[in-house]
Amino acid sequence: MREVSIVGVGLHPWGKFKDKTFVEIGTVAIANALKDADIEWNDVQAIFSGIYIFGGNAGHISGQYLESVFGETGIPVVNVYNACATGSAAIRMAYNSIAAGEVDTALAVGVDISPEGFLSAKSDNPRQDRDVLRWRMTGMPNPVYWALECRKRMAKYGTSAEDLARVKVVLSQYGSKNPNARYKKAYTLEDVANSLMVCDPLRLLEICATSDGAAAVILSASPGAIQRANRPVKIAATTMGSAHYGDPTLRISALSAPAVAEAPLLSESYSASRAAYKKAGIGPEDVDVLELPDNSSWHYLQYLETCGFCGEGEAEKMLRDGQTQIGGKLAVCPSGGFSSFGEAVGAQAIWQVVEASDQLRGRCGARQVPNARLAMAQTYGLMGNSGTTILKI
Amino acid sequence: MEKVQAQKDRVPALPDLFDFAGDSVRIRSARCASCGTYFFPEYHAQHRSGCTREGVERVLLSNRGKLTSYAIEHYMCPPPFKTSASIAPYGIGLVEFPEGIQVAGLIMESDLDALAIGQEVETITYTLYSNDAGQDVVTWAFRVLK
Repeated sequence: MREVSIVGVGLHPWGKFKDKTFVEIGTVAIANALKDADIEWNDVQAIFSGIYIFGGNAGHISGQYLESVFGETGIPVVNVYNACATGSAAIRMAYNSIAAGEVDTALAVGVDISPEGFLSAKSDNPRQDRDVLRWRMTGMPNPVYWALECRKRMAKYGTSAEDLARVKVVLSQYGSKNPNARYKKAYTLEDVANSLMVCDPLRLLEICATSDGAAAVILSASPGAIQRANRPVKIAATTMGSAHYGDPTLRISALSAPAVAEAPLLSESYSASRAAYKKAGIGPEDVDVLELPDNSSWHYLQYLETCGFCGEGEAEKMLRDGQTQIGGKLAVCPSGGFSSFGEAVGAQAIWQVVEASDQLRGRCGARQVPNARLAMAQTYGLMGNSGTTILKI
Repeated sequence: MEKVQAQKDRVPALPDLFDFAGDSVRIRSARCASCGTYFFPEYHAQHRSGCTREGVERVLLSNRGKLTSYAIEHYMCPPPFKTSASIAPYGIGLVEFPEGIQVAGLIMESDLDALAIGQEVETITYTLYSNDAGQDVVTWAFRVLK
């Protein structure tokens, strides 16, 4: 398999755009990526597009709708959905298509315009769709799942309310320095500790918002494209993982979990990250920049352990000691994280890769990680979806 | 007499998930005789890799379990969660049953401030709302045992 590089990236800002269509914001991201790569639309030989689930049939064939804007060229267009790991799936497919020699240059894109507030069930068949059960029978929106795991963690390792608040403080420092961030305020421990309790033990500022956004990445193995690119970034690995039997995590949208653990917590992320390290020939200690899926403060702490960046029960200490900050052992979410952007489901994993590649390309200004050579983007999607992308320059 | 009447007036919000005809409320699970896995609900099949998936039987979980985690929701869940009035803040618990499965559900009739991991709970029904026929539409829930 040949080496594949990212030759251009593009974003539409994260925010709320109820009056726009997914096509409009997707177009902006793609146009920015083409410009960054300095290539023409005709150079794109395949499209891998995250499905936009709130867009009816149109959203399910988002790739075709976007292709139409730039010009239909008969190229393969695949629409893919893996919950919040959708972007990872798109990137991995683009990578595999190029690495196998099917095409030289491909586009991976994700867009999302989320409905306000809670994300709700889209069908009403309880036998088929567990979302219907967890809404109708137990009133469990997503943060409840995270709160339940967080409470377990607090009991097991002594995670304090201050630890949960500190995650937001650290993330907001970087969000305040990221011009693309939706939320740019830098918070103090007191601000966060006094914010509304939403789903005890998680407070408002410890749970990410939902946002609209679009992100695009152009991958290539074409020598011409790589030469034209402004600091191309190599993809060392891009993997996906699903859950293992015996994973004790209560996964959205399930109502049950095994009582006896036979697999790690968040086993899908464990699987994806270990496969990525193996493929890239590295270990977690080699990573300079990590964009992890901080849907809540719990995720931030848990993912450090799940991905092997510290031992079990040690994430709180790593955070308290400043080792997850720029200048520490590992720069965690120097983008400001989901905390500063909100999550745009289909676009989020691609956005993570855009941020990670920006770090390697030295484009991050006040939140630049010095000497960043190896970056990792780790996703988390409900019901056992995960992807890991490792980049190097 | 009154107890029987109350039972006749309860209908589950969704069928086949729990049983309250007898003295105690019991969650309706399934167990695979081949790989030993319990799953809930029965149509959320989860077998061990390589299992022949033969011999899946319906089982009723014990009425009592142990609280392995809890959360307190301060905001009402939007539709399709339907209740006759706001119940926020409300508790949600994860309960481990002796059969070897953890099941999530509302925590009701309990002091939310006093919740603690390890408490023994029992399964109860909880009335979400009354329907046009005057019946109590119920779901399963958990109550901390004193």
